[in-house]
Amino acid sequence: MLKMNHLSKVYRTHLIETHALRDFSIHVREGEFVAVTGPSGSGKTTFLNIAGLLEEFSGGEFWIDGVDVRGMNDDQRSRLRNEKIGFIFQGFNLIPDLNLFDNVDVPLRYRGFNAAERKRRIEETLSRVGLASRMKHYPAELSGGQQQRVAIARALAGSPRLLLADEPTGNLDSLMARGVMELLEEINRQGTTIIMVTHDPELAARAQRNVHVIDGQVTDFESEPQLRVPAQGSGAAVTA
Amino acid sequence: MEIRPILSALMRSKVALVLIGLQIALTLAIVCNALFIISQRLQLMGRESGINEVDTFTIGSLGFGTGFNVKTSIEEDLAMLRGLPGVAAATSTNTVPLSNGGWSTGISLKPQQRTSSASSAIYFVDEHGLDTFGSKLAEGRFFTADEITFRERGDNTWPSIVVITRALANRLFPGESALGKQIYLDNEGAPQTIIGIVERTQVPWLGFASDEGPDAEYQSTFVPQRISFSNFGRYLVRTEPGRRDEVMKAAEAKMAQINTSRIVREPRTVEAIRAETYQEHRAMTIILIGVIVALLAVTALGIVGMASFWVTQRTKQIGTRRALGATRGSILRYFLTENMLITSLGLVLGTVLTYGLNYWLMANYEAQRLPLVYLACGVVVLLLLGQAAVFGPATRASRVPPAVATRSV
Amino acid sequence: MFYYYLQLGLHSLKRNPLLTALMVFGIALGIGTSMTSLTVFYLMGSDPIPWKSDKLHAVQLDNWSADQPYRAPNEPPDQLTYLDANALMQAGKADLQAAMFKTVWPLQPENPDVKPFSSLGRATYKDFFAMFEPPFKYGQAWDAAQDKEHARVTVLSSGLNEKLFGGTDSTGKKVRLNEIDYTIVGVLDKWQPRVKYYDLTIGAFNDAEEYYVPFTTAIELQAQASGNNSCFESAKPGWEGYLASDCVWIQFWVQLDSPAREEEYMSFLNNYVNEQKKLGRFARPLNNRLPDVNEWIEAQGVVSRDAQIQVGLSFAFLIVCLVNTIGLLLAKFMRKSSEIGLRRALGATRGQLFMQHLVEAGVIGVSGGLIGLVLTVLGLTAVRSLYKDLNNVAHLDWFMVLTAIALSVAAAVLAGLFPTWKACQITPATQLKTQ
Repeated sequence: MLKMNHLSKVYRTHLIETHALRDFSIHVREGEFVAVTGPSGSGKTTFLNIAGLLEEFSGGEFWIDGVDVRGMNDDQRSRLRNEKIGFIFQGFNLIPDLNLFDNVDVPLRYRGFNAAERKRRIEETLSRVGLASRMKHYPAELSGGQQQRVAIARALAGSPRLLLADEPTGNLDSLMARGVMELLEEINRQGTTIIMVTHDPELAARAQRNVHVIDGQVTDFESEPQLRVPAQGSGAAVTA
Repeated sequence: MEIRPILSALMRSKVALVLIGLQIALTLAIVCNALFIISQRLQLMGRESGINEVDTFTIGSLGFGTGFNVKTSIEEDLAMLRGLPGVAAATSTNTVPLSNGGWSTGISLKPQQRTSSASSAIYFVDEHGLDTFGSKLAEGRFFTADEITFRERGDNTWPSIVVITRALANRLFPGESALGKQIYLDNEGAPQTIIGIVERTQVPWLGFASDEGPDAEYQSTFVPQRISFSNFGRYLVRTEPGRRDEVMKAAEAKMAQINTSRIVREPRTVEAIRAETYQEHRAMTIILIGVIVALLAVTALGIVGMASFWVTQRTKQIGTRRALGATRGSILRYFLTENMLITSLGLVLGTVLTYGLNYWLMANYEAQRLPLVYLACGVVVLLLLGQAAVFGPATRASRVPPAVATRSV
Repeated sequence: MFYYYLQLGLHSLKRNPLLTALMVFGIALGIGTSMTSLTVFYLMGSDPIPWKSDKLHAVQLDNWSADQPYRAPNEPPDQLTYLDANALMQAGKADLQAAMFKTVWPLQPENPDVKPFSSLGRATYKDFFAMFEPPFKYGQAWDAAQDKEHARVTVLSSGLNEKLFGGTDSTGKKVRLNEIDYTIVGVLDKWQPRVKYYDLTIGAFNDAEEYYVPFTTAIELQAQASGNNSCFESAKPGWEGYLASDCVWIQFWVQLDSPAREEEYMSFLNNYVNEQKKLGRFARPLNNRLPDVNEWIEAQGVVSRDAQIQVGLSFAFLIVCLVNTIGLLLAKFMRKSSEIGLRRALGATRGQLFMQHLVEAGVIGVSGGLIGLVLTVLGLTAVRSLYKDLNNVAHLDWFMVLTAIALSVAAAVLAGLFPTWKACQITPATQLKTQ
């Protein structure tokens, strides 16, 4: 699903070079739920930005779903991102001026679906995260957990193959965090590959596989899938 | 393009919408009306006087005391002027078109008529009058030398022949030839026979007898007389093409030489006289152009400022959109569309304000109704201005890297 | 605290020089435009003699034709006939009164080095000087006896006295006008009424006259008036016929020191006209008027329509500039919302923040106003070059300078109020969180 070989990322200013990633290799298979952990400054976010095609990389190889990403221009990467990748941010990143319906609509618009198709997908994903009844509400009227679930709905609406989550529960209290986590596990069970960056060992433990990043390098590579702890109360309608 | 979500997002920041919309509305109203006024003034200033303005100048003198012999002085001056090298024609005259001073009278068709049939400017000229003015004779003939008389102090009678302009002929005798007809410059005196009709000669005053229609400014009458009731003498001189300025100097020097018991008044070109008469219209045009330019500049800069602010404020949002798959082009289009919507809303309000302002001008300043084409021009200009102004900030927005989305503020 | 706010404001303005420049430029342009047009408008129409403008009255008698009014709808002529002017002077019923008209005469200096030139003058009565109060530098006006005996006397303007006598006391000397010698009895100091309200028939903003002579003298010499002359029927032949005609060509002013005197004078005029009706003159219904200076300026349309339109448009322009500034200030203050939230969290009250931002808006207003004042001066220079006859009018006086500053500060504070209020609505808690 996602394969990086000897990837490197260097930030240059006129004074210093910072190696955010060096000789970074990772292989995520279809259907996996991978947690990327590591201390702050270790390169987690850089990895996620590159994985999500938000940033370019300096060297190495990178495939997403069998597509070679090297040499793609900005528009090609935008399209690939739009079709194959869903994002979940720590800060939710909902657009405050738009209601829930329009927020979920944003990536679908860029995808070019027709109105009926978009409506169907929005309603479906919003009901999947249990917020179908609040479509006309604005983000500011929701709790943090609800906002993150809207963000998840937005990420899912385009039926991406890969979901990238950046500290998805970082801004939530533990109860809300658990609800969001269970939702992600549910999504994964239904076949979407998930890569989640977190510094919370408890969350990481719930993933199938843990990747530990220190100083821009993968240090701990558990190649065998762990036995996953079954989620409690499976199903989508989890109260946050 | 995605108009509805842009619109609903806009509705969430009503203040900004109202401010920019109001600014655009007022700009439209002022620009349209100012353009209209400008075009009317240009039209006014562009009208032809019907005389040769390029090669002509006036010169005059003021004699000293009661002993001054005006009649001989005029005859000497004219003989001298006509003999000057470079002079094509010269006439004595009381005034010239557009000089803003002169003699006007009401013309009657019957003796003892109570109200006059038309107003007319009077030009007292000699047999060279038509040639010097450079106006075209349409019908009949002009005066001959033996028909020219002096108008003395206290003389209230009029000669028996006149030449009038076509505009005056049309007003006095609509639908028939005025040639040979009789009119009364004094409704208690003897009639005058029209012996000639001149194509076009403007009166000295702008807005003359405006209640008689726009053509009233061309209602002029030529009278075959030289004025000798005061010590003033005034002449119009037409030179050979290109020799006006040189002849003007020579004429002034020569006039001072041949008679010293008088003051020679500084010669003035008809072009300068025309410029002075149209001065206020020219000034108004320049001022309004200045206002339009300044206004468009302020509005454009305002849009740049607000759009820049919005881009900065929405950096995170733009990054998120980019992370969700928006291309640079679609971000650019988003801002252009947003601006188009705001401008359009402003223009709707602006249309109302434009006609409101037009109505105020009509009610208080005798303005005319604004033709739709000015509104259309204003709308197009402001739409383009808005798009041009927002293009810079929108380009900046499209360059926001998608990685902004994962940064915590 | 004000100093602290001022420091904060300046710092904040420096942090974003382009936006600041935009705002200052916007206000300056708006102020410059509106002050330029307002100055011209105000000086055109303002009271030229405020201390007694309500006591000075133009006299209008409706001697026009039975068939049509002098001017639609029913305006009496703005000048008098010689017959009536002379009768009113003889009656002398006002506190002060003067008939007058404009003359253009050749002036022949004694000094052979100075070439003869045509000079603009006014034929009037001695009361002219008491009514319109031109300041005298040397000597005084002629007296009633000299009016009566058609004396060859004159009062010179300071400009003409400068030209002929180098500015020295020339009283008692002679000046030769149109072949006649006049004895100088007085010399005026510099005097240029902004609006030449006592004779609006030829240009409201022309220069003042260079010399004044008795009306009676000019009439005796059969001096042609150089102003407007209107007749509704032909005069009888000759000078005497002209004087006896119903042609109007004389301006007539009276000074009436109280409203009661004004009433008295009006009834005197009405009686006079009614007497004249018996003699077959004054065919129209009674329509005499006594407008004071300001009513006269208003009725004669001294303030041009263009000037009025310009004031209207320039104030609309100022509003656009203000709306523009409101938008930009709002943008600026909202961009600082996290800082405002932080300040609130650190204990600043709403009032304190309000003052802080109002001071910032005020700084923009004052600088915009000062630049606007410079633009006004430039604008007035442009107006003077565009309208040559507005040379006497298009100048800033202290009143207009103060108005400009007050207008710009008021404008900026007004523009600053809403954004400031909006900024102060930010609650401390929400802004500390990330977006």
